[in-house]
Amino acid sequence: MNNRIDTTLKADLKKFGLQSWNDCFHCGNCTALCPLTEDANLFPRNSIRTMQMGLKDKLMSGVDPWLCYYCGECSDTCPRDANPGEVMMTLRRYLTSLYDWTGLSKKFYTSKVWELGAILLLGGMVVLAFALFFPTINPELTADGGVRINSIMPLQWIEWADWTMGIIVAGLLISNLMRMYYKIAFGAGAVRIPLALYFKEAWQLAFHFSTQWKFSKCDGKRYWLWHWLLMSGYTIMFILIMVFLPWFQTEEIFEVWHPQRLLGYYATFGLLFGLTAVIIGRIRKSNAKFKFSHVSDWLFIVMLFLTVLTGILVHFFRIYGMPMATYYLYVAHLAVLVPMIMIEVPFSKWSHLAYRPFAIYFANLRKAAMKYHEKTEISLATT
Amino acid sequence: MKDSRIGVYICWCGTNIAKMVDVEKIAEDIGRLENVVIARNYKYMCSDPGQDLIIKDIKEHELDRVVVAACSPRIHELTFRKALENAGLNQYLFEMANIREHVSWVHTDREEATKKAADLVRAALKRVSYHEPLDKLSVAINPATLIVGGGVAGMSAAFRLAEAGKKVYLVEKEADLGGQAARLDLSFPYLNTVSSFLQPLIRKVKEHKNIKVFTGQSISEITGYVGNFKTTTGINGKLEDLEFGHIIVATGLSNYDPSPFKNYGYGRLPDVITSIEFEKMLRSGNIKCSDGKPPRHIAIIHCVGSRNENIHEYCSRTCCATALKYANQLRATFPGAGIYDLYADMRAFSKACEELYTKTSTKDVMFLMFDPERSLPEVKQADWKDECNMLIDMHEILSGENVEVPADMVILMTAVEAQKDAKDIAHAAGISMCGNHFYIEKHPKLDPVATTTDGVFIVGTCQGPKDIPESITQAWAAAARVLAGISRGTVTVEVTTAVVNEEICCGCQTCISVCPYTAISFNEEKNVSEVNEVLCKGCGTCGSTCPTGAIRSRHFTDMQILSQIEGMLNEGKVKETHKILEEA
Repeated sequence: MNNRIDTTLKADLKKFGLQSWNDCFHCGNCTALCPLTEDANLFPRNSIRTMQMGLKDKLMSGVDPWLCYYCGECSDTCPRDANPGEVMMTLRRYLTSLYDWTGLSKKFYTSKVWELGAILLLGGMVVLAFALFFPTINPELTADGGVRINSIMPLQWIEWADWTMGIIVAGLLISNLMRMYYKIAFGAGAVRIPLALYFKEAWQLAFHFSTQWKFSKCDGKRYWLWHWLLMSGYTIMFILIMVFLPWFQTEEIFEVWHPQRLLGYYATFGLLFGLTAVIIGRIRKSNAKFKFSHVSDWLFIVMLFLTVLTGILVHFFRIYGMPMATYYLYVAHLAVLVPMIMIEVPFSKWSHLAYRPFAIYFANLRKAAMKYHEKTEISLATT
Repeated sequence: MKDSRIGVYICWCGTNIAKMVDVEKIAEDIGRLENVVIARNYKYMCSDPGQDLIIKDIKEHELDRVVVAACSPRIHELTFRKALENAGLNQYLFEMANIREHVSWVHTDREEATKKAADLVRAALKRVSYHEPLDKLSVAINPATLIVGGGVAGMSAAFRLAEAGKKVYLVEKEADLGGQAARLDLSFPYLNTVSSFLQPLIRKVKEHKNIKVFTGQSISEITGYVGNFKTTTGINGKLEDLEFGHIIVATGLSNYDPSPFKNYGYGRLPDVITSIEFEKMLRSGNIKCSDGKPPRHIAIIHCVGSRNENIHEYCSRTCCATALKYANQLRATFPGAGIYDLYADMRAFSKACEELYTKTSTKDVMFLMFDPERSLPEVKQADWKDECNMLIDMHEILSGENVEVPADMVILMTAVEAQKDAKDIAHAAGISMCGNHFYIEKHPKLDPVATTTDGVFIVGTCQGPKDIPESITQAWAAAARVLAGISRGTVTVEVTTAVVNEEICCGCQTCISVCPYTAISFNEEKNVSEVNEVLCKGCGTCGSTCPTGAIRSRHFTDMQILSQIEGMLNEGKVKETHKILEEA
């Protein structure tokens, strides 16, 4: 491991949103009151020191920034206004860019031109694709007065495009996750983890992904609720679109209590509620976690909000038989959705959906492995 | 035992003594003893009413001896002596028993403490019977002053005294005035150039009609005593006898040579330099590595030789702020360089120095903490493929990591230490030194510039590490003390000194060899030792060494000491009148 002091790292981190690097004087107040920190993973002070000294390898081989859910208490009570919470946020952005082998993540995080350019390019491609197939549309309404939504493009094609996108995104995310795994498992201070433990602890991945259990330990339970609603809505909608598109995107209008509509409404509610709360929070800067908004923070919320909004409009225009409005908004919906997924999930803020549960899983694996080694050492010593 | 009329006063000291000692009982018991005319207890003997009580009793009861049992004589012996004098009694006919520091403050059993206090009072009572009236000695003061050391402190004191119209002899060992300050580029915390105030001061001192400067000279021997010292020094081989009444020692400091620290590579690695060497670079305006290139990474290492129990346990006090000063100067010179400050503790304590630290920390300076008790940083040559010439291995405390610090130049913040010849000056001027060879002041808090030798003052860094304002403050304080002495005109000397009985003295001169104050000389003509009463401090060393018993320490005679012991051990004789009372 390279453990050379590197004073240039902080200049790099400034582009990821770091404000000041030297305010912290290491009183340890933040670590003392953090509800999530524990002996095996002491943060945020330790991460701040590592950042100050520019120990890139140590940063990369650690999971600490991912264990922080940014309740903001450390930033609120920091006697030096060093904003530990925001430093952890910055480190998450930075780590995301380090895990990404394409280098695009760094470009998107550090350059507005790259990020907006990529969004516009992908959005433009979506619009272009629909423009080419536009002649197939059939403005006639169905028997129950709905819009023939699938006449805009054969559903099969959309499903193929869906899957292609899914495979690309998953491929990128998983490969980045592998890099993260590699750095953590074989980086500085790595502990050998017995294979069996990987399976024994695997339930943690699903558990933490679905419950955000750690987040619920933070102060301010409502943030956990907002986030959970947003996350669960997003996940349900993602599954509906990716796996059950023919079942979800129908021309037939079902009764209100039909699972297709109930699930869709729940997901929309969850997304809308969570997003509205976060947007208001960020505008009002009501909590330390909302005080500092990097471009990537805003871009992500705004795009998701536009996706939800256009989705809602498409739904109602379809049901109430407004064909042209439905078609235009459908194109707009996808022109926002596609770049959001393609850019945010593998390269930017949305990637935390994989990195966070994995970090918790790995932190627990490490703990279990250390306990395991301790036990075997003791049993070896006693025999 | 002689008959005398003694008054005994037991002080309560508020509750300080009374809570642990039954003062009323002691007063009552003592009152029964022989020679005791009156025994009282009182809340605060040192207060004006307390002193008035003694004065009144002396007059009314015709007392000829007084014993006060109260606090330490170091605090109030002079107070009560004065009271005796006011009542027309010789002040030496007084004895004090310390029943506060030696009894009430240190014991927890009231009964035992009372017993011990009574023993001490009886001892004092017995001793005071043998006290003799003594007179004080008055000596005229020479208004000239000798100042040893021409640095900032010495020159400041010289200038103050000269401005007050007094003659000053300023002796500097080096060829030029200026001392350590002349080696510095900027001063902390405001980063002003040192020469901007040092050069005018040097000029003023050199040109002053009341100051006679001797450069390239040292002082080897000083004779005499407060008000009348003598030494010999000279310029260009021409010797001159100097006479003066006071001495201000301002001999300053020297800089520690860090060669013994193998881990820093000083002397082995060409770009590891000391802070004083770096000051030289700064003054020349040419900061370069040994290969002539500007440094890309500069490391500053604190506490080299300071706060290290094998070298100097003390803190050199100025290095932290100096290091911060360097960091600022380096940042201004090399905006893109890596500046690393390896510290053990950041002690930026003087006025505006914490602010200097805060300001420095905003200038992209990397502060790295090491624990000298755990491990010291280690400087080593870097590989050819590294982007720097040297690497420093260290255990960084705040992160708990072993890290490497890149460096092209390493500045060692070396300790300051006492002058190599501190001992010689100390011996010549009669000053004591601490284990680090810094001079010891008379009292660390209440008398910080005086020494145990009357008329000799210490200022600046010869007393311990300090910065320029502190040195000047001391210099002016000593100047004020000297002026006060001069304006008094004469000096009163304690006569609790040794006297030689010329009849018994055999002329062996043992006393001369043991006297720590060079107060005894030998009279060849009479073949006897003679004591200079002004120089003698009455320590008693000669008296206890004298094989024939010819030397007697006034106020500490054998009889006085023995009777004190006797008083301590015996219950004491009860007065006839009391006996009768008890029988009846």
